[in-house]
Amino acid sequence: MSTATLSGSSDQRATESQWAVETHGLTKRFGENVAVNGVELLIPRGCAFGYLGPNGAGKTTLIRVLLGLTQADAGTMSLLGYSVPRHRAAALARVGAIVDEPRFHGHLTGRQNLRLLAAARERAARDRIDPSLERVGILHRADDRISTYSMGMRQRLGVAACLIGDPQLLILDEPMNGLDPAGMQDMREMILSLVAEGRTVVLSSHLLDEVERTCDAVAIVDRGNVIRQGPISELLAGASLVLEVDCSDPDRARALVAATAIGAADGSEVTAEPTGLGLTLPAGTGREVVAEVNRLLVDGGISVYRLQVVQASLESWFLQVTSRLGESQ
Amino acid sequence: MTILPDVSSSAPGPATTGAQPDHRGSWIPSGAMITTRFMELRKRRGLMIALMLVTVGIPTVFLAIRLLLHAFAPHTYGPAGGYVIYSALVSGVLYVFGFIVAATLGATAGSADLGEGMFRHLVVTGRSRLALYLARIPAGLAIIVPLVAVGFTIVCAVCVFAAPTTLSYQGVNVPIGLSSAGLQTWASDHADEVICNFAIRIGPSTPNASTLNAVLNSVPCGNGPGNGPGSGIANGQPQPSQTQIRGAASLIARMNYSGYARQFLYPSNSLMIKSGLWLELEAVIGFIVGLGLGSLIGQRTVAVIMMIVLEVVLTPILSRARIPHLSNLQRAVVGLATAHLSPGGLPVFGGGGGGPGGDGGNAGLLPESTTVAVCVIVAWLVGWTILGAWRMITRDA
Repeated sequence: MSTATLSGSSDQRATESQWAVETHGLTKRFGENVAVNGVELLIPRGCAFGYLGPNGAGKTTLIRVLLGLTQADAGTMSLLGYSVPRHRAAALARVGAIVDEPRFHGHLTGRQNLRLLAAARERAARDRIDPSLERVGILHRADDRISTYSMGMRQRLGVAACLIGDPQLLILDEPMNGLDPAGMQDMREMILSLVAEGRTVVLSSHLLDEVERTCDAVAIVDRGNVIRQGPISELLAGASLVLEVDCSDPDRARALVAATAIGAADGSEVTAEPTGLGLTLPAGTGREVVAEVNRLLVDGGISVYRLQVVQASLESWFLQVTSRLGESQ
Repeated sequence: MTILPDVSSSAPGPATTGAQPDHRGSWIPSGAMITTRFMELRKRRGLMIALMLVTVGIPTVFLAIRLLLHAFAPHTYGPAGGYVIYSALVSGVLYVFGFIVAATLGATAGSADLGEGMFRHLVVTGRSRLALYLARIPAGLAIIVPLVAVGFTIVCAVCVFAAPTTLSYQGVNVPIGLSSAGLQTWASDHADEVICNFAIRIGPSTPNASTLNAVLNSVPCGNGPGNGPGSGIANGQPQPSQTQIRGAASLIARMNYSGYARQFLYPSNSLMIKSGLWLELEAVIGFIVGLGLGSLIGQRTVAVIMMIVLEVVLTPILSRARIPHLSNLQRAVVGLATAHLSPGGLPVFGGGGGGPGGDGGNAGLLPESTTVAVCVIVAWLVGWTILGAWRMITRDA
């Protein structure tokens, strides 16, 4: 039996699964180097999911393992409920992916390259070539050779190559690479529209700002391990509270705050800046602390010119998480 | 700690689009895969030009020049076609270069996806890697087989329609299609030409050897010592009679009949069909081996260089050398096997011994039975296909 022709019960189990991607203990080694280290990952269906990590963290390797481009050394995984690699063909029939930089046959046109890929998919894929090219905005260049395409156009063609399979799951590895600001905006909107259609988009990137603007949930990977995953709002709620204070006497203000329970609390950090104070307060600190700091400084005879809560960003949180991890190791 | 998102609200309905079972796990390539792969290869402009130049261009230009030269100076330049030209082009050009260009095409088909980054896209479609590999075989053959056929057809057409009208056997114009008796009769009428030009072997068992020697010594061949049997000086011996000279010429003609009988003005239909199939077999082998090698090492240039070395250097050496204890290993060389299957009379590159007046194409080759030759060829075709497919299946994309 071909792996793509599944029994009814397998299909039923697959469609009932709530996870677009599910991995347990997934491990991939290259000699002594563990690129993916027992990864437990659960990506829900129908969301935009960011997969974040510094360079060399193992993002692309995990994607390659998921797609069967390379074999895992240990662990189990499933895509859209289909166990992989056992039902790999059936799973990939519903998956579109860009891995690394999208490269194509340079001597062929964009449309011809997609025809080559559509031929390897189901029959209906060929009918989706033009709509896919139109959706990514390069239909007018479809009959030009790839060798004349810019990097950004190749990225768009890569997305079009994903779309010809009408995928339920798209895995995009650094799709913003090579795109100008307008192109990034287009890509962001397209990802959101794909999610709105009920598809799942996994966005692997190091552009934290883009991920924050596009994704509902993220996983942070570092040195082959997934160290955090969940909805962005929940993750940021666990981030430190940062206050910026402009005041008249920064050194005395620092001493004043450091002597209180606020400054002495575990996880607090008070620094004197040329124009004021910088306060980093532990995660979960309430907003009333802001008023308390203000009162403390004013009562101490220090003029307060500006007091601002710095909104925790994914970037700052990412740096906190990954640097903490680095320190502990 | 692993924080799981609340998925109850975000999970969409079951995947229904594209969920119909298909056969992409099957190892059999679809027609669309073959036709698009054919397109991908055909659109390689540089490669296609090179293929056409070698398989069609070289024989066409060569024959066109010969046709023009013969048309303008027929006494200086012989006819463009004929058996000799045919055998030279078929076994010297199309056989060797056909193999090399087929191997180049195969190596390209086997390595291009990998080198140009498309392999990953194709694997992600979920299509069986074996099917992806096998699709390249009919696609590539659909290019190389017709090209070799076109080049070969041009050679056949010119060699048949522009063939010489008289046969030149060892420098003497001899009528074509004579029987042994007819050749002897003709020889007795052209005794001087026959005695001076035909090959002569005189041994102890040769009848009338003394008379023959006397005739050879008496007939002047005109161009001084060393160019002809005798100097015409009788050294006091009696001059042979005209009857003896005619008899000697007849005897020499009988000695040469087997060689003469293998001479043709142009190739026969049977020979053309056989050599056409033989050339296509060589091209198919070149393509399949090139494809497997290209897929195995993932590089076109190295694979092509290796194939050229195999065809141009190793095969001629291993086909002719007698290496003690290694003759069975030598017989496993595919070039030797295809040389043994060459149609009768055609010399092979590095094999020697063929052509007009020769002993057929296989004379200088290491002996090998037809069965062994066929087995070697089948083993190469199957073996390289398995190797190439295995590497494609197991390769990290």
